[in-house]
Amino acid sequence: MSPLLQALLRTLAAVALLLVNGVVLILMLRKVLARLHLRLGPTRVGPWGVLQTVADVFKLLTKEDFRPSGADKWLFRLAPVLVFVPSFMAYLPLALSDTWRFSDLDTGVLFVLAAGSLVPIGILMAGWGSNAKWSLLGGLRAAGQQIAYEIPLMLSVLGPVMFAGSLNVAAIVNAQRGVWLGVIPRWFVLPQLVGFVIFAIAGQAETSQTPFDMSEAESELITGFANEYSGMRFGFMFLAEFSNMFVVSALGVTLFFGGWLVPWADRNPLALALGPAVFMLKTYLGIAVMMWVRGTLPRVRVDQLLAFSWKTLIPVSLAWTVLSALVMRAVNL
Amino acid sequence: MWGLGILKGMAVTMRNAMRGPITVRYPDQRLPLPERARWAVSHRYDENGRPKCTACLICVKECPDHILSIAVSRTADGGKHIDSYRYELGACMMCGLCVEACPYDAIEMSHEYELASADQGDLVRELLHDVDAASPRRAASPAKEAADA
Repeated sequence: MSPLLQALLRTLAAVALLLVNGVVLILMLRKVLARLHLRLGPTRVGPWGVLQTVADVFKLLTKEDFRPSGADKWLFRLAPVLVFVPSFMAYLPLALSDTWRFSDLDTGVLFVLAAGSLVPIGILMAGWGSNAKWSLLGGLRAAGQQIAYEIPLMLSVLGPVMFAGSLNVAAIVNAQRGVWLGVIPRWFVLPQLVGFVIFAIAGQAETSQTPFDMSEAESELITGFANEYSGMRFGFMFLAEFSNMFVVSALGVTLFFGGWLVPWADRNPLALALGPAVFMLKTYLGIAVMMWVRGTLPRVRVDQLLAFSWKTLIPVSLAWTVLSALVMRAVNL
Repeated sequence: MWGLGILKGMAVTMRNAMRGPITVRYPDQRLPLPERARWAVSHRYDENGRPKCTACLICVKECPDHILSIAVSRTADGGKHIDSYRYELGACMMCGLCVEACPYDAIEMSHEYELASADQGDLVRELLHDVDAASPRRAASPAKEAADA
C-alpha cells in the first residue's frame, strides 16, 4: 500500500473514532448526569434514548447557519475550524495498542499537548469574532484559564515521561509492563500519585469541565464563546469539547494506567489482542469519573480558578517534578 | 484536610447514582399525587348527585384573584337558583382559600392537574349551570325536603 493512501486511511480512522466518540460521549454525559441527579435522562429517541445524539446531529445539520451582522466575518467562520482541528490533531499520536495506532510519533505526548494548546486561540477568535459581550467574556476566560492550566498539565506529564525515558506513547505504555514487589502493577499512577492528581485537575480545566467551565458558564454567559453560533458550527465546537475529554482521558490512561495493558497479564497474547478494547474501556472509565466530578462540583469563581493554578498547582507541580527526578536518580527505578 | 469536601460531595452524588432515578416517563407513567395536592377547583355533590353549593358567595368574596363569580336568581318558593358558577381556571393560583372559606364543604381542590389547553376558552369553566342551590335548612331536615318535593 502506498504510504500516502495508508496515511489517508489512518486519518480517516481517527476521524471516525472522533465522530463516534462525540456521539457516544454526549449520550453518556446526559445519562451519567441524569443518574447523578436521580433523573432518567433521554428516553424517547430509540430504546433507552440511544439515538438521541443522532437526532441532535440531524437537528444541528439542518439548522440555519446564522452569522450576526456585526460579527467579524473571517474570524467568525475560522474559529470553529481552529477549535476543532487541534482536538482532532491530538488523536493522531494516541495508540490504542502496540499495533493499533494512527501514527508512530516519537514526540507523541508533546504533540498532544501542543495541539491542545492551540484550542484557546480558536476560542478567543470565536469570542472576539462574535462581537457579543458574553462571547467575548467567555473567550477571554477560556484563554486565561487554558494558559494557566497548561503549565501544570505539562509538568504533571513529565513524571511518567521521565520514568519511561520517552515521549512516545507506545514506549511509555511498554515501560509500565510487569509488577512491583510481585503483585502491584507497574502503573505510573502509584509512584506519580501527586502528578496524577495534578494531571486530573489540570485536565478537567483544560477540557472546560464543570468545576472549571468558566468559558461556557451556562448560568452567567449562556455558553460563552459559542453563544452566537448555530447549526454545525456550534456542533463542531461542541464536538471538539467532547473529543478533548477523550484525549485527556486517553492521555491519562496512557501515562498513568498502563494504556492497553491488562494488569498481571501484560504478556498474554490474548490480553494483548484485546488491547484496543481494554484501552477504550479504561479511557471511558476515566471519562465517567470526569463526568462524575462534573455532576458533583459547582463552578468556581474566575479569581479562585486562576489563583488556584498560579499559586498552588504550578508550585506544587514544579516541586513534584524536581522531587520525582531526584528520587528517580537516587533509587534508579 | 484540604479536598475533603470534594470527596464528601463525590460520595453524595455516587450514592445518588446508586439510588437510581426517582422520576418516571411522565405521560406513560405517573406518580401518585400527594393527598393534599391542590389543583383545579371543583364541586362536591351530595348522595343524590346534586351540588352541595348553597350560593352563599363566600368563596367569591374570599378569592384573592377575583376569578369566581356566581349568577344567582330566586326560585318561586324563595330559594336560590344558580344560573351559572364561573371559574377562571387560567387565572387561578390554586391557593385553596375558597375551599377553606366554604362553610358547606361544597367545593374542593381536585387532583386534576393536566390543565394545559390549546383553546383559551377551556381556561374559563362554567362549573355549575342552571341548577337549584342547596338549602342548608332543607339539607338539615330530610323530611321537610321530601315534603317540599
